[in-house]
Amino acid sequence: MKIDSRERLNVLWWAIAGAGVVLGLRLAQLQILDVAFYREAAERNRSQIIYQSAPRGRFYDRHGDVIAENQGAFTLIFLPGKNQARRELEPLARELARQLGRDPDEILETLEQSEREQSAARLAENLPQVTAFQLWELKTIYPGIALIEEARRYYPHGRFASHLIGYMGRMNPREWRDRKAKGYRADSRIGKLGLEALFEDELRGRDGGRRMEVDAQGRIKRELESIPWEAGSNVHLTIDSSIQRAADDGLRASVTGRGAAVAIDPRNGDILAMSSQPDFDPNALLAADPGEAQRSVAALPEFNNAIAGAYPPGSTFKPIVGLAAFAAGVSPLESFFCPGYFDLGGHTFHCWDRKGHGRVDWFKGLAQSCDVYFYNLGLKTGAAEIERYEKLFGLGARTNVALRGEKSGHLFGPETRRKAGRGWYDGDTLNLSIGQGELTVTPLQLAVVAAALANRGTVWRPHFTRKIVYADGRPDFVQSPEKLSEIPATDAAWDLVQRGLEIVVSSGTGMSARIPGLVVAGKTGTAQNSGVDHAWFIAYAGRPGEPASIAVAVLVANGGHGGVTAAPVARKMILARFGMADPEVEREARLAARAAARAAARAAKAAVPVPALPAGAVR
Amino acid sequence: MNSTRTPPGLSSRVDWTFIAAVVGLVATGTVAMLSAASTTLFYQSILQKHFIALALGSSLFVLTLAFNYQIFQDQAKILYGVAIALMAAVLVLGRSARGHRAWLRLAGFSFQPAELARVLVVLVLADYLDRRARRAGDFSTVLTALAIATPIVLLILKQPDFSTALTFLPTITGMLFCAGADIFQLLFVFGYGALALAVPLVITLCQVRYPGAPSGTLPGFILAASRLGWATLTTVVAFAAVSAAVWRAATWMRLQIKPLAFVAAPVILSGALLTGIVVNRSMKSYQRNRFVAFVAPRSDTQGAAYNVIQSKVAIGSGGLWGQGLFSGTQSQLGFLPERHTDFIFANVGEEMGFWGAGLILGLYFLLLWRVVTAARLARDRYGYLVCAGLASMFAFVVTLNVGMCVGLMPVAGIPLPLISYGGSSLIINLFSLGIVANVYARRYALL
Repeated sequence: MKIDSRERLNVLWWAIAGAGVVLGLRLAQLQILDVAFYREAAERNRSQIIYQSAPRGRFYDRHGDVIAENQGAFTLIFLPGKNQARRELEPLARELARQLGRDPDEILETLEQSEREQSAARLAENLPQVTAFQLWELKTIYPGIALIEEARRYYPHGRFASHLIGYMGRMNPREWRDRKAKGYRADSRIGKLGLEALFEDELRGRDGGRRMEVDAQGRIKRELESIPWEAGSNVHLTIDSSIQRAADDGLRASVTGRGAAVAIDPRNGDILAMSSQPDFDPNALLAADPGEAQRSVAALPEFNNAIAGAYPPGSTFKPIVGLAAFAAGVSPLESFFCPGYFDLGGHTFHCWDRKGHGRVDWFKGLAQSCDVYFYNLGLKTGAAEIERYEKLFGLGARTNVALRGEKSGHLFGPETRRKAGRGWYDGDTLNLSIGQGELTVTPLQLAVVAAALANRGTVWRPHFTRKIVYADGRPDFVQSPEKLSEIPATDAAWDLVQRGLEIVVSSGTGMSARIPGLVVAGKTGTAQNSGVDHAWFIAYAGRPGEPASIAVAVLVANGGHGGVTAAPVARKMILARFGMADPEVEREARLAARAAARAAARAAKAAVPVPALPAGAVR
Repeated sequence: MNSTRTPPGLSSRVDWTFIAAVVGLVATGTVAMLSAASTTLFYQSILQKHFIALALGSSLFVLTLAFNYQIFQDQAKILYGVAIALMAAVLVLGRSARGHRAWLRLAGFSFQPAELARVLVVLVLADYLDRRARRAGDFSTVLTALAIATPIVLLILKQPDFSTALTFLPTITGMLFCAGADIFQLLFVFGYGALALAVPLVITLCQVRYPGAPSGTLPGFILAASRLGWATLTTVVAFAAVSAAVWRAATWMRLQIKPLAFVAAPVILSGALLTGIVVNRSMKSYQRNRFVAFVAPRSDTQGAAYNVIQSKVAIGSGGLWGQGLFSGTQSQLGFLPERHTDFIFANVGEEMGFWGAGLILGLYFLLLWRVVTAARLARDRYGYLVCAGLASMFAFVVTLNVGMCVGLMPVAGIPLPLISYGGSSLIINLFSLGIVANVYARRYALL
């Protein structure tokens, strides 16, 4: 086979030309047809977005005191490099574990995931300044480590209205699925309880971020773009921090340290305070150390006694029985003899005071909380009428206070029984007359009752929002009071009840709530249960000649007698409402100051003989 | 009109188009190198070395152009001796870098002699094939030519530099083809080489895609054959049996085919298979990774595939006009590996865009066209063969490098001639192109 050399050269040339054409077409494909795809890939390569959480809207109390705000805190992030080997990540994980006091394997896993997904990872959040400066040095050794400043939720009062305010936490998978579309990121925190959860959409601003140019090692080269955040909307609450603190402190200092306290303004239904104990420190849940945060979450007492705890109201129910009796035409002057017990068809019902109260009328009956008097009153009035008043005061129904987990409590009466297919007996009427039996109420409901007793019949829907100041310039949302119902009772009946409640405090079972200079009315209660009785106290107060401006309900779980354990808490709250110092506390403070002064004087005397050191020896 | 005409002779005979292509490539390469190396630690020293090499290479180009190229034919034996001595010296005295013992230190410069050896092999083979012109069609010519190159290729494989050794095959094939070797013989030789290369590719593919293939399946059989056991023997026997059967069929149909073909076919198939299996077993891990990256680019984004992906991203993101010199993010932020050496074409693609990359391809096109023209116009068969060999060599190396950058070829560690940074490579390429210029300038038998 003989081929001319010229022809062979041509074949060679065409082979070369063919290769050139293939390469040229491939270039055109990459650079002209697919340019958008590769541009994007190059952009992904070189830029990393570091999100910065926006400052969350603040909570203010009714006087403008900040309840929840934001603080600058450092977040440690890792920007993965290209082509980073596992062995390069290991020393970094070890070093970080040492600095942060965490498990190196866990950190390594986070680093590797970030490397696989080629996206920035948050290694630690809410770092205090000191730790942040220590970590700053790592930046020079390990590429890819960066610190950014972010807004972190901060609660200046610490343990304060914890259940009402709530706390911030990580999303669970379901919450994450629901919020994905709303601009949340997997590592976003959301309000998990109380108002933080309720106003999540208002409080949450829009996260900002910084688009950084990074090199192949993950080192930040420069900032490409800064996306400003938008702060969230501020929410002004009806809470009065001083009353709230009095409630929190008072419950915490009570015999068992467990219970609930609610204060409402009887003029408009503003919730002035809502406390549930045991409570928690919402700041601890945002601790930089994930171990500490995790422990706090695990030990979190999420149960809000004020709305989710339903207990028999005990004697605090007696004013309602009285109102029902007067409406049914029973005379307040009619008196009954209390020998310490009541006999119903061979069944003995005891008065709380087995010694008996002797002859008892309405005022004495209420002031001494005589059970026998109310047994008689109840029988004369009829259980159906009392049940009607239960409903009028809003018992057995949720107040719809817009907090998650509210309970409705249980109505108790012949109609309820009938609906349940069971009969009603006189014995039940006796139990109902003293607030026992199947009747249960929440502290919030009882506070609403106290407010209605104070304002002569207006049942408000309780609320805690005064206004929402929207960050985006929408007109403010201003909460207006909402009336649930009006109790139909004569002025004479109201006078009798209110006068009776005042006597309870001035000379009856509620004397420990007495405050000179204020008109305080109240009722003690003791809810029987399987263990030690729960102590109740409801009260309202005002300056003489003015309408009452605070109504409270206090429950000390297993606290025994309401007058002893619950009333002092209510007293502290009322004092706080009127800006009055607690004379008892003042006396104690005076004594403590005097003792401290004496100790200081003794110490000063003892310190004199110490010889002076030469100047150079100091330090 | 023009009173200062250059003295009749050399100047008018020099191929200025060719020189323009060379200058254009070197200039583009220098610009690309300036940008690509700007983020490296030794930028100053890289610049220095590049310009010194450029000066040396240009001088060598001019020098090579000045004397008659036929001296290379006269001194072919010495050249061959030099080539072998150089490669042996590298193995004995050479400096190791990145796993290769491929560099010689020479007066402060690192010198990579493998490329010089390749050019020398072209010169030596051209001499041999010129002398064997009458028996160009003999199979012995092909075998002798391969035998001449084999010691040098083996020495290069010993470094080990698989990629450079690989470039010998197309160079030699191109020369044999242009020398008038029998097409079938060449096909056998080339098929042998291609098969020997394809076998490890197929084995790697099976290892990656079907790691635990059962023995009844084709991948399972291939994997079994790769372990040099009964499956291998069965395949070899099958080759022989099928060949014998076809021979009988051809005889029966009275087809005029040389009986030798039916002996050669199974021998070559079996030989290539065995060679391929041996190559597969002796591959270094980084070489294996390159194969893996080629057959399954998504499987390993850390190793060799990472380079190819980043290279494609760099080229693609350049678009029509490029990101501008010194502003390609892939190059300047370090995502593109080997950006001033093996992957410099990706840097050009990113920073100068389609026009820049196309310009380089165009200049190569022009250059190779002039080299082929030089071959066509050469005054003797020796010059013709030298130019054809160099054209094949340049064409293959450029295709391999650019093909690697655009993801059409497996990763091979060879530089892009005249563009990539590398002193010895630049000098030797300019030297070899000087020879081409020389052949062209002396195309008339008179000088």
